[in-house]
Amino acid sequence: MNASAISIPHDPDHHGGDHGHHGHVTLQYQPGLPLSKGKLIMWLFLSTEIMFFAALLGSYVVLRFGAAVWPKPHHVHLSEPIGAFNTFVLICSSVTIVLALEAARANKTGLAKMWMVLTLALGTLFLGVKAFEYQAKFSHGIYPWSPRSRVFEKPDLYYGSAVRARLGEPAMIDRLKELDETPEDKLSPEEISARRRLKQVREMVASPDQQPFDLAVVADQVMPLPADGAGAHGGHGPHGLNDTFPWLKLPAVIPGGNMWASTYFFLTGFHAIHVLVGLIVFAILLLYRLGPKRAGMIENAGLYWHFVDLVWIFLFPLLYLF
Amino acid sequence: MTHHAHDPHGPVTRAGETADETLEHAAQGHEDGHGHGGVGKYLLVFAALCGLTTMSFLTYSSFWPWRDEPHVGWAFMMAVSCTKAMLVVLFFMHVLWEANWKYVLTIPAAMMAVFLAIMLVPDVGLRNRMVAQERALHMARQSDVRLLQQAAEAKLLSDQAH
Repeated sequence: MNASAISIPHDPDHHGGDHGHHGHVTLQYQPGLPLSKGKLIMWLFLSTEIMFFAALLGSYVVLRFGAAVWPKPHHVHLSEPIGAFNTFVLICSSVTIVLALEAARANKTGLAKMWMVLTLALGTLFLGVKAFEYQAKFSHGIYPWSPRSRVFEKPDLYYGSAVRARLGEPAMIDRLKELDETPEDKLSPEEISARRRLKQVREMVASPDQQPFDLAVVADQVMPLPADGAGAHGGHGPHGLNDTFPWLKLPAVIPGGNMWASTYFFLTGFHAIHVLVGLIVFAILLLYRLGPKRAGMIENAGLYWHFVDLVWIFLFPLLYLF
Repeated sequence: MTHHAHDPHGPVTRAGETADETLEHAAQGHEDGHGHGGVGKYLLVFAALCGLTTMSFLTYSSFWPWRDEPHVGWAFMMAVSCTKAMLVVLFFMHVLWEANWKYVLTIPAAMMAVFLAIMLVPDVGLRNRMVAQERALHMARQSDVRLLQQAAEAKLLSDQAH
């Protein structure tokens, strides 16, 4: 700032701090907004992020309540306790980053570093749990894919032909033959039952006088939808053929499952990317001495992290409990 | 003309300093300036957040009395989530102690967010009010869920027969 334009007589009461080129000049600069540049930019960024996630969450809510059918959380193998645990992890990490900021302001650099490492660990734990949950979806054939994952919307003719196509793959024919020839004493009782049911399924999808209800039975054998009361407490419902023989990978039916998968992976995926970015920022911050000089940086990183926590606070009930 | 930490317009920059430097000084001496924060207060907020998470988890447990009325649970969970969000924003993000710029940045963004969601309703929310016959043939309906449930019950019978 060029101070030479205005000249004010020296004020003896003014308390120092003026090391400017013109010793007799006292200037006061009122910033447009009473906050640091970094914090202003962070808040501007966060206000765009509010709109970004509001668009995602709004689309989800509107898609969900406009849908003819929407799967229940346990139809798509969501575990509510795991979701609640992840909520707890993120809340803890919000506290640790706030404590890191307090410690840095009080010039307790070691303590600040400890809280920062803890935040990093909690964020990593969150991502680990998320990866575990994604793996559970993938293993059930639920993933975003075009035109569709292994999930079919309804047990119609297209579903029947997809099951038939899968059973007719050369590798599958060999595997099924191998299963048929395995003596009963080498199989568990569950596998013996599943083998018998699989045989019925193979006959049903190949039958020329197939009834619409047969395909619903096939879908139920491949991957049953837990009844409303049964699977509500994370307990495993009835075991489908896909669970007993994981190599089978038969198409499954979850009404509304594809739209659910698109919204679920889109929402949690973008949230996970935000978590990852936060972790990278924390890792970079750990390279510095976390004293009062870095308090501004920690505060801005913390603001971002709290926002990520905030998004999850809404995502958890919307995805897991609705 | 002197400046105070209690200036209603926020801190005034000291001569020869940038706004960032002044705010850094303010941050260092914020205990005497604003007197906010404090580990105890954060831990209290943390306890409240944990309690609220447990409350929204309650809707999933068998203790929840309105299991047949999902709307009660949804309204309850959204109320809990908004309370949690306010706690995080006010205390962890220090918005409670910020100057009035906080309204400039948050209220328009929040309004845009609400409008965004509302604007999706006609095209997306009401998309199933009138659908082409071809789409009606291929989309999942409540009748498909019932069909699958009937199939599940039929299987139970066949298992008993064996």
